[in-house]
Amino acid sequence: MVFLVISLVTLIAAILSLESRELVYGAVALALSFLGVAAIFILLDALYLAMFQILVYIGSISVLIIFVIMLVRREKWSTIKSGNERIVGIVTALTFFLVIGYVSYNSGLSNIITPNSSIPDFYDIGIQMINDYWLILEVTGLVLAVSVIGALTMAKIERKN
Amino acid sequence: METFEDFLKRILSILFWLLLLSPVIIFPVFFLLIPLLGISVPTTNEFLTALIDPIKGIQLANKYGVGPSSTFFKIAAFPGFTFAALIATITILYERKLIAKVQLRVGPLYAGRFEGVLQPIADLFKLLGKEIVVPEKADKFFFWSAPILSIGLGAALLAVLPLSPNIYIARSDVSLLIPFAIIGFSPLIVLIAAWASSNKFAFIGGLRALHQLVAYEIPMLISVLGVVILSGSLDLISIVESQQQVWFIFPQLLGAIIFYITILSELERVPFDIPEAETELVSGWLTEYTGMHFGLLQLGVYIKFYALSLLFTLLFLGGWYGPAFLPPLAWLLIKLFFVITIVILPRAVMPRLRIDQLIRLGWVWLIVLSFINLFIAVIEVSLGVI
Repeated sequence: MVFLVISLVTLIAAILSLESRELVYGAVALALSFLGVAAIFILLDALYLAMFQILVYIGSISVLIIFVIMLVRREKWSTIKSGNERIVGIVTALTFFLVIGYVSYNSGLSNIITPNSSIPDFYDIGIQMINDYWLILEVTGLVLAVSVIGALTMAKIERKN
Repeated sequence: METFEDFLKRILSILFWLLLLSPVIIFPVFFLLIPLLGISVPTTNEFLTALIDPIKGIQLANKYGVGPSSTFFKIAAFPGFTFAALIATITILYERKLIAKVQLRVGPLYAGRFEGVLQPIADLFKLLGKEIVVPEKADKFFFWSAPILSIGLGAALLAVLPLSPNIYIARSDVSLLIPFAIIGFSPLIVLIAAWASSNKFAFIGGLRALHQLVAYEIPMLISVLGVVILSGSLDLISIVESQQQVWFIFPQLLGAIIFYITILSELERVPFDIPEAETELVSGWLTEYTGMHFGLLQLGVYIKFYALSLLFTLLFLGGWYGPAFLPPLAWLLIKLFFVITIVILPRAVMPRLRIDQLIRLGWVWLIVLSFINLFIAVIEVSLGVI
């Protein structure tokens, strides 16, 4: 029941964020749908993940999106194309998700038996990250550092011109 | 222009009509709706006795599941909202008197017999009596939702903050992260309020608040990580329990200073009150808010003030630990008011920073210093100092 309500709110907010004519409403609806995803994480007993979902997606990403929307002129972006393109888009998305859903429903995913031990907490996540996935962790850190340095360089070049 | 007599007449006529119409509302509810739904309500005798006798009152509240040990009471009254609002009210008066004394003024003086102690209540009635003005071009939905969201954010912050080993609303493994996640909503609320006002001062204030957030949020999180490394836990209660021997402000002095600066910045207090700079932006993102809207926004800010000061007390000042002649809660409140004092004091003496100075401070100094603080914590743990 709770899951149904949360997923309904999430989906409606996600659709609203695409379809609303006022861009700021859309951005706030996007934040609401991120919050719904965090609530689903809480339902799955993954409080740690939910908190980081809120911190990263609502605390920074949706705030940045609203920031950009407020700086950009409204008239340029608010023309929503109607007609054929929208129908094609909806049909493509529906087909894609039906195929993906069919494949994953018929794969072995639906009858995986999880070990009946306690719920993994953030200690386990940390141990796994350091021991098994240390390479991926370091590569991710490297990519982030490179992107920060790249952004700084680009900002300096633009300021010179 | 309404005179005081007209005002009294209006109030009395409203009361008269309410009394006249009350049977029409009360009789159907009591004699039709409640028997149909099968809810048991207290009889008039029970209710009136409970109003006079506190013990009977507690018994009656226990019978309906809202007694002092129930979750509802915890959320609404004692460790939760009402207590925080009370501390926030005391903080407002304390701030005005303290700054007045520092600047050799007298501060609020007339409300109440002694030193203007009733000034917050007088202010509350003033705000309640004021007209709520919504600008014509404002976005009505967002304009109305910002004060409610602000007070909701303040209340949600209190959910996991313990006051002593037994007094808390909820306990969680990751209870340190939850306040930081909830604080992440505050720029969203500021931006909504600023955008909905459709006022250039409010809008500039909102954009400044966002710049400020980007500058201080990262050092805020990283400065706390040192404490997490030393105590080996994200649970606030076990973090406090690991400070039984040494308060973390001694091994983590740098982290405490950084966290203090970011608290000032989060609460938009002097010297970081750039988003609501009175001399430049009228009142920043609060410009268009009047009456009780403004009151709710201010109450939300002051509850956030209480929550962050409490967080500083729990993380760095050893929470409820102290010599045994006072109970834990008393020690916590003493430390809390010490933190509130040092957060208030800069307002009396400091000038305001510019926005570019704040951004430089955040990105160049605070982030680097908070990483140095993290390394200090790692060295202390590996050398076994703590």
